[in-house]
Amino acid sequence: MPDIVLDNVSKSFTKQTHAVENLSLTIPDGSFTTLLGPSGCGKTTTLRMIAGLDLPTAGEITIGGTVVFSEKSGAFVHPSKRNLGLVFQSYALWPHLTVKENIIFGLEINSVDKPEVRARLEKVATALRLDSLLDRYTNELSGGQQQRVAIARVLIMEPSVLLLDEPLSNLDATLRMEMRAELKRLHRETGATIIYVTHDQLEALTMSTHIALLSAGELQQFAAPLEIYEKPTNQFAADFLGSPRINFVTASLTSDSLVWGGLKIALPGPVNVNAPQEVLLGLRAEELRLDRVAQKDALVGRILTVLPTGADWFYQVEVAGQVLTIRHNDSVPFSYDDSVYVQPRPSSLKVFDDLGRAIL
Amino acid sequence: MIMSLRRWRIYLTPERILSICFIGLLAYLVVIPLFMMIHETFIVHPLERFQIPGSKVNDFTLAHWYRFFVSDSAYTFFYRPLLNTLIISFGLSILALLIGGGLAWLVVRTDLPFKATISNWAVVPYILPSWTLALAWISLFKNDRIGGERGIFFALTGFETPDWFAYGLFPITITLALHYFPFAFLLIGGALRNIDAQLEESASLVGASRLAIIRRITIPLILPSIMAAFLLSFARGLGTFGTPAFLGGPVREFVLSTSLYGNLIGQRPGLGYLAALVMILIGMLVLYMDHKMVGARRSFVTVSGKGSRLSLIQLGRWRWVTTSLVVLFLFSVIAVPLVALAIDTVMLIPGIYAWDNLTLHYWIGEASYSIGLGTGEAGILQNSQILMALKNTFTLAFVVALVTGLMGVLVGYAIVKRRGTFIAKTLDQMSFLPYLIPSIALGATLLAMFAVPRGPIPSLHGSFLLLVIVCSVSALPYAVKAGISAMRQIGDEIEEAALMVGASWWLRMRKIIVPIQKSTYFAGMLLPFISVTRELSLVILLVTPTNQLATTISLLFTDRGWYPYTNGIVFLLTIVVVGCTVLSRRVMGTSLAKGLGG
Repeated sequence: MPDIVLDNVSKSFTKQTHAVENLSLTIPDGSFTTLLGPSGCGKTTTLRMIAGLDLPTAGEITIGGTVVFSEKSGAFVHPSKRNLGLVFQSYALWPHLTVKENIIFGLEINSVDKPEVRARLEKVATALRLDSLLDRYTNELSGGQQQRVAIARVLIMEPSVLLLDEPLSNLDATLRMEMRAELKRLHRETGATIIYVTHDQLEALTMSTHIALLSAGELQQFAAPLEIYEKPTNQFAADFLGSPRINFVTASLTSDSLVWGGLKIALPGPVNVNAPQEVLLGLRAEELRLDRVAQKDALVGRILTVLPTGADWFYQVEVAGQVLTIRHNDSVPFSYDDSVYVQPRPSSLKVFDDLGRAIL
Repeated sequence: MIMSLRRWRIYLTPERILSICFIGLLAYLVVIPLFMMIHETFIVHPLERFQIPGSKVNDFTLAHWYRFFVSDSAYTFFYRPLLNTLIISFGLSILALLIGGGLAWLVVRTDLPFKATISNWAVVPYILPSWTLALAWISLFKNDRIGGERGIFFALTGFETPDWFAYGLFPITITLALHYFPFAFLLIGGALRNIDAQLEESASLVGASRLAIIRRITIPLILPSIMAAFLLSFARGLGTFGTPAFLGGPVREFVLSTSLYGNLIGQRPGLGYLAALVMILIGMLVLYMDHKMVGARRSFVTVSGKGSRLSLIQLGRWRWVTTSLVVLFLFSVIAVPLVALAIDTVMLIPGIYAWDNLTLHYWIGEASYSIGLGTGEAGILQNSQILMALKNTFTLAFVVALVTGLMGVLVGYAIVKRRGTFIAKTLDQMSFLPYLIPSIALGATLLAMFAVPRGPIPSLHGSFLLLVIVCSVSALPYAVKAGISAMRQIGDEIEEAALMVGASWWLRMRKIIVPIQKSTYFAGMLLPFISVTRELSLVILLVTPTNQLATTISLLFTDRGWYPYTNGIVFLLTIVVVGCTVLSRRVMGTSLAKGLGG
């Protein structure tokens, strides 16, 4: 039911700078959509506009067919009437109330019957494993527990859309892993649409069904995580997703092949170029192969740094005057200063013109 | 039409409405009165038409400006009081810096014992009414210039104090410095505490001597605080009235505030308003300098804040000597004055310190023209006039605390919610404006505004409401500061979380914001309560015989030479003020020190 539609939404705080510019986006019902981008890209502003806490300077926002904001018609639906819940980055728990009082605050001020409140409290407290903490004050809780209270406080209102603003950024690494799994479970069990803001591309890749990638207030790409990973529509998208970062090498594009450092890479089909064109070829760390012995169709390189992470071995390799990061797990590890042969094995061709747009 | 109305409703948020309302209110109570006061310096007042030949009341005239700045009597009216004011303000600020800074250094950087106790007591002189020390000085060092009896010092030693020591600039400077040094103590102490030890340690690692470290690292780091303390004491000294009135009056030494009072209450209101104008200009200049010189640099003291523990300097064999000196000092600026005041209230005939002269007449006696001073006034605790004044004082303090507390919450809310916008900046600066105006001059501006009926507003002269207004306006900067810091600590999201579940603005204030920050708001109300209780400079121009306050009535008794009454009233006020401070500390855990300073 509640598709969330942003239609040409813009928001500027001062006359010169736009926090969000002409953003059009349809967030499907039931999806786990992540607003991803570097800090200052407008993702939190977008979330707050959907929640109704910030007002767009232009455009229209529709939730489940109801126009909740329109600059043109002046329509505005109060945040509390949009049937959505927002978990703040700081959790925003009320320090003068106990966990239980925090959770039922919203029901109480909306005069929900006592038995109903009790039933709903029991349900969310069990779901979020807060049963034993209900009488504590929030400053007596750990970060992870506070996080769960913040979510419980929102879930008890039974919203059809759950908005999460960088909810894991204040947690340590192990807890973050746990909470990721918990949030995915929550998504499955409640069936609510989740809109999730983060600057962490790994979080976005592991959790979402859809990613809206933003930069400087503009939408870069809106697609499923692996689609963005495999088929980025521009250089920014290719660069932002994936760890370690993607390698960019200069290549020259002809009608039937790409040439990198004298090496020919075949194209899936012919393209329409008149003269050879200089382009950027994106190669992820796992799309390059290393060999000790000479191979044909390989470039000669030299190992600069060895970076083992336990499961994987990463190498910084100097190839054709450039430093590339390459993952290589089979055979005996290389050492510093080893000579190696480097072969490109792209699973999809990520080629960008001089404006950073994907071609092919 | 309907469409635009709907749009207006979206943008008409509580914080916008509050901002506009308070900007209007402050314009009416602070900005417009300033202009009304300037206007008063250009017109002929009823009593002045005989001094200015051929003039009618309310005529435009430049005579006041001529008389004040250029004429033969300009020296008496203006230049001499100005010079005195500057000498006193400079003197007291430097002295306060030395005392407060020295004490702060000892407490923060050395192994002085009893630090917590010393820190607590060091703030007390500021809590006492500023002229307590002036009265105590008179009790102690009075010579025969103002009537037969001499002070306790003469009774103990047999030495007659010279005039320059007993009255005039010297004792005014000393007593004010002893009142204002806690500013320096708190500001410099705070700065010293915030210095990251690593800054000094890295200097000592590259071979700097201890003296070089103090000179090249420590002092530059705390310089902004030193400047702030200096300018704050300077500005406060400028507007004070009680001390120069008590100690300067007997030798006819005037400062701007006493000259303002004399002229405004007397025959020359035009000159009084001019004195107020000059005081406001100097006050603004001083705080503008503070802003320019200190404001920009103040930041670097706080960024280094989290620093590691400083190593304390060992005082070694000087430890107990220093401790004794500090304790002796605090004893002589707190206990000695209070004891001196108390003694003078139980001496039937002033100046005769003998057991058979002991009396409770001035506390509980019946009115009499023959006993003791023969004042015809009943003792303090029986005297309906004094009790009424005390009741007025506490009613006023209570009402002002409530009003400013409420305004602090609301203005702080409006400013923080709209921060960064033009309106918030305007409101912030306007609520800071009273801080720039020396207190007696602030009284003068409101007198100019409300002494006569204007439009639908009747004359408020002599009304309790006018006292509430002037005290609330004067306390507003502190209350707003408390309100802003409380709101900053809360952050927007705490409130938005309640908004998201449909809590109205009123509900959010009542159930979320005020309960969370109740102790900060309480501290923001305590300060106005205390300052109103001991306020004299601010209200002296605005009280009338029907609405005397404890402080103004004590001035009245001083004028008649009835010191036992004055001293008794001040003694009572002191006990109440200190009691309130201690109580609030016990109950709410609020520290007054937090609200003081710049």
